[in-house]
Amino acid sequence: MSSHLDLRDVSVSFNGFKALNSLNMSVRKGELRCLIGPNGAGKTTALDIICGKVKPSAGTVSFDGTALQDLEEYEIARAGVGRKFQVPSVFRELSVSDNLEVARARRTSVLGNLHWNIGNAGRDDIERLAELVGLTEQLDRPAAYLSHGQTQWLEIGMLVAQDAELILMDEPTAGMTAQETRKTAELFVRLKGKHTLIVVEHDMGFVKAIGDIISVMHMGQMLAEGTAAEVEAHPEVRRAYLGSGGISHA
Amino acid sequence: MPSNAPNSSGLQRLIAQLAPLLIVCALMFALPVLLNNDFLLNKVARYLVLGILTISLGLSWGFGGILNLGQAMSFGLGSYAMAMALKLKTVPVHTGASGLPDFMVWNNVQHLPWFWEPFRSLSFAIAAGLLVPALVAAGLGWFMFRGRVTGVYVSIITLATMVVINLVIIDQQSYTGGFNGITDLAQLELFGIAFDAYGRATYYLVAGCVLLSLLVAFAFTKSRAGLIVQAIRDHESRVRYFGYDVALYQIFVFALSAAIAGLAGMLYTVVMEFASPTFLGVQLSLSVVVWCAVGGRQSLVGAFLGAVLVAGMQGALSESAAFLETWTLVMGALFVLVVLFLPKGLAGLAQSTWRWVAQRRQAAGSAVARGVSQTEGST
Repeated sequence: MSSHLDLRDVSVSFNGFKALNSLNMSVRKGELRCLIGPNGAGKTTALDIICGKVKPSAGTVSFDGTALQDLEEYEIARAGVGRKFQVPSVFRELSVSDNLEVARARRTSVLGNLHWNIGNAGRDDIERLAELVGLTEQLDRPAAYLSHGQTQWLEIGMLVAQDAELILMDEPTAGMTAQETRKTAELFVRLKGKHTLIVVEHDMGFVKAIGDIISVMHMGQMLAEGTAAEVEAHPEVRRAYLGSGGISHA
Repeated sequence: MPSNAPNSSGLQRLIAQLAPLLIVCALMFALPVLLNNDFLLNKVARYLVLGILTISLGLSWGFGGILNLGQAMSFGLGSYAMAMALKLKTVPVHTGASGLPDFMVWNNVQHLPWFWEPFRSLSFAIAAGLLVPALVAAGLGWFMFRGRVTGVYVSIITLATMVVINLVIIDQQSYTGGFNGITDLAQLELFGIAFDAYGRATYYLVAGCVLLSLLVAFAFTKSRAGLIVQAIRDHESRVRYFGYDVALYQIFVFALSAAIAGLAGMLYTVVMEFASPTFLGVQLSLSVVVWCAVGGRQSLVGAFLGAVLVAGMQGALSESAAFLETWTLVMGALFVLVVLFLPKGLAGLAQSTWRWVAQRRQAAGSAVARGVSQTEGST
């Protein structure tokens, strides 16, 4: 039960609004953790804290013993943290294969990258990734031409390409069809074990399909943790969701 | 996009992309054979130099997304580095025994200032013409990109920095020649060749540097670092979360662009036979942006041709009586039209025309095939 990622008493406030209020969370290596909670509970902010987009005003984030809260974003990424954003973020003017190539960040220094890629080294890798996310036909097209669902898939593919130990996913299935969502769930189940995943989701069907342990956040704090059945039975969780028809409709 | 066959190798694609560059350069090298007029050749050489300057802006703006409105600063620094070296070659022939450049004598300077001393060496001057602009850009870039300054603020800061340096040069008349610049220069001599501004040697020197700049810039954009720079242009923070130090990549492309602009500046001094504060003036700096936009900022050859064509047109218009007063208006209108209707410039127009022709040919080919299969005569 050695914890891989540990958030201790993390607080953040935006202009006096406490987005996170002494949040505690720990995640084991290889786990797939789902993070749910009503709007404004601080789920996205929790991911922002881990990947360095937002700096905590108090508390610590440790990842395999490294204190992340003092590092720059690129240093956190190099330490093995990957992030998918809620608004799909890809390089729109670059082709799908170039998007994946940038994400395969094996070498990150400027001088180390001043070489050409004539021999198509890594092309197999990229074709495999494209197949995984169903974009083989689109490899040479600019990412700007992809549909919303395809763009989501491309960014997920980029995170797989990055091969980060810890992958943070913010609403990865937003805008996807039911079939696409099912495929995403399958992919996530395949990724877990080799990678540690934290997934913020609203779709309870999706959460039940993939999650081992679900963490429920409310008003910047951790409200409950457990299996789907456990959190649904939890009285405080029911109260937090009161008026929205229960957690299944969150 | 069926145009890309799945088995087309990266090398083939690379050759296809190099073709326009090589064709343009071949024409450029062939020009002196057709043009038997030294005065015109000097003019063309001038436009080619401005083309190099525009390539350098295309690199930082079109590929790096960094709109440097002070691109002429690097150009001017390079130009002064060359002028200082060539000025010292005239001493004491033109200025007598004191061993000082003429304008220093007029300004009662007693000794050659320390920062002029090393310019007695031409190789130092050439190195300085490349490295000083690159280092100034890297320093400026360090503050801007570490501080995550982006977009229009980068443009304002670069423009303001150029104006400051321009004012310092004008103000420090005794060391820089002030408003008049540095004039009455010796001829550049390299490897035993004298480069007369109106000679063919100078034209070929400039043409060689155009080819070199295009190849260096092309090589960079095709490298993995060049790809990452383009990714930064599209979505800066996304790149950061893959573990790349975005600021370092921006500083690199900014400094590389400045070094190429510095090279152009040195050549400009050779072609024009003087250096002047107008070389790092706002007007030139903004003109470069127009040339780059007209030619197509995401194409190196496009940016180059944009400069040569528009600067050439500018030259022709400003000399003709009819447009003497109005040529800036014509230029402004051209810029507005390009921004409105050709966001990718002439290069983008050429690309889409090429694609259209290819499609038409394909369609015609299949129509003929259909006609044959139906054994019907087709018109």
